[in-house]
Amino acid sequence: MIDQKGIEEKWEPSPGLHRFAVAVAVLTVFLLVAGALVTSNEAGDSVPDWPLSFGRWLINSDYFVANVRYEYSHRVIAGVVGFTTFILAVWAWKTERRTWVRRLALIALGGVVAQALIGGVRVLLPHYKPIIAGPHALVAQSFFGLIVGLAVFTSRGWWEQRESQPDSGRPGLRSLTAITVGTVLIQLVLGAGFRHQAFGIIPHIVGAVAVTLLIVWTASSALGRSGSDPYLRRPAMAAVGLLFVQVGLGIGAYVARVRSASDPQPLEPLISLTAAHVVVGALTLATMIVFMLRCYRALVPSGERASGIAGSTRLGSSTQGAAV
Amino acid sequence: MIKKLCGISLSVLAVFLIFSCGPNRNGNKNGGPGGSGAAKKPCPATGNEGSITGVVKFDGMPPASKKIDMSGEAYCASYPGEKTTDDVVVTDGKLANVLVYVTGGKLADCSFPAPSEPVVLDQQGCRYHPRVLGIQVGQTLKVTNSDDTNHNIHPLPVKNGEWNQSQAPKGTPIEKKFSNPEILIPVKCNVHNWMKAHVGVLDHPFFAVTARDGTFTIKGLPPGQYTLVAWHERGDKGTEKTASITIGAKESKTQEFTFGVGDVASAGPTHLKIETALVLP
Repeated sequence: MIDQKGIEEKWEPSPGLHRFAVAVAVLTVFLLVAGALVTSNEAGDSVPDWPLSFGRWLINSDYFVANVRYEYSHRVIAGVVGFTTFILAVWAWKTERRTWVRRLALIALGGVVAQALIGGVRVLLPHYKPIIAGPHALVAQSFFGLIVGLAVFTSRGWWEQRESQPDSGRPGLRSLTAITVGTVLIQLVLGAGFRHQAFGIIPHIVGAVAVTLLIVWTASSALGRSGSDPYLRRPAMAAVGLLFVQVGLGIGAYVARVRSASDPQPLEPLISLTAAHVVVGALTLATMIVFMLRCYRALVPSGERASGIAGSTRLGSSTQGAAV
Repeated sequence: MIKKLCGISLSVLAVFLIFSCGPNRNGNKNGGPGGSGAAKKPCPATGNEGSITGVVKFDGMPPASKKIDMSGEAYCASYPGEKTTDDVVVTDGKLANVLVYVTGGKLADCSFPAPSEPVVLDQQGCRYHPRVLGIQVGQTLKVTNSDDTNHNIHPLPVKNGEWNQSQAPKGTPIEKKFSNPEILIPVKCNVHNWMKAHVGVLDHPFFAVTARDGTFTIKGLPPGQYTLVAWHERGDKGTEKTASITIGAKESKTQEFTFGVGDVASAGPTHLKIETALVLP
């Protein structure tokens, strides 16, 4: 339970902090692209040392060739994301008055540091690659989700007064979106496990069916119950759109993988399809997180009294505060 | 909510570990060429040793070579020679790069000292030379880099220690040893993802790799009953052909193996594993 009790009426989150959180989220998408390209090109072990690369922080152009381009770029972008996350955490700590937002920013900083360490372990212990790949993917996607969440929490839309509606129907949209977010996260990790050969394709296909059913169910429920409210309609529509793109990319990537099984190396279109599949998966997670947070923001459980105004922090009401 | 998210994350991790800790998909289906594990003793030559010569044939039309994309590095792309695959090399119906080795018989009880001379694996033209090699347990593998570019050498063993080491252009040779028999260890360069080799580690010296004309010779084999194995890199974990063979005192035997199109249809053990039950037509 997170509330906004005790915040002064005049205080508002910094628009600059929100824009910076969005920028970090965009940078994280680039990081995810770079990571996907590392795996797609089998470049994960092309730089055998860590945290240095060939014994130095900055490598020269003689080293920056073939697969090293992907691995080293991944490291550089990761460094940029780490640094900007540090700035985000400091900024939030200095300007945010909601303790839980400050804590989330610190957790994000811890997440990016943990992710760097997991990446280092992955490089230094290549024998355990299939097992380390799962946590690496889980922390990556969780970190991305957290940054997206911070961008939502610091947005004007989150802060503005909003009429609350009862979360009618069984199950409620709040629960349904939360379950869907968890399932999408599991599915992303199953996909990483398949890509890193920790296990076969079956778990990922089962996960794809579950995610498809849940997103369609969640979105149709939202459109049926709150379709007139663009605050919920937009992320619901976006999630369904991304789902269709993602399923198409998944099928395309699998067919390309089968067709290229005898190739001497990963080639196009396999590389682009698999990288796009990873990134659209992350964007699906981000959209579902936004959808879930908006449901928690705009809806109150049907067992509780709809107060009329949700999250009106200016009124300093804990029950009306955004509960996440 | 944060507690819920933490719970979800831990659940995801648990699911992953459950799936990933299943049977070892990279395991050696043959249990390797090693002995029973009992103490071995030296078996000095008696003068009665025999030999096996033979040829590995290929029946049918070999698969067409595929183009290798070396455009990621100018040095490799400009190096003279064809930029095509060389995993299935067939000349006049004879198959090269097949590791032929002996197993069973007395070998399980005997120890054989490792030769002092190293086995050389060179990197030239952004390829490994030779592509398939055999080596004895404890013998030195000397990896050289004749190229004017950086490589890394990354064996992926199951029964030996894995290592991944960078090597500068024409850099100092890397010397390593393997402590356990293993058929066969894939070796790859992660900088140039088309570079692949295979190292067969045996605890005896009775092995050979077929030459371009498909021939092989194994000398100095103590008399006895053995299984002769011919291993080619294509297939999920490589493809094997076996033959029983009895060597009498000072006897020379010949043995022929034949691989077919179906034996080399699927990719080798190191590239793009796919759930075979769902392979599309």
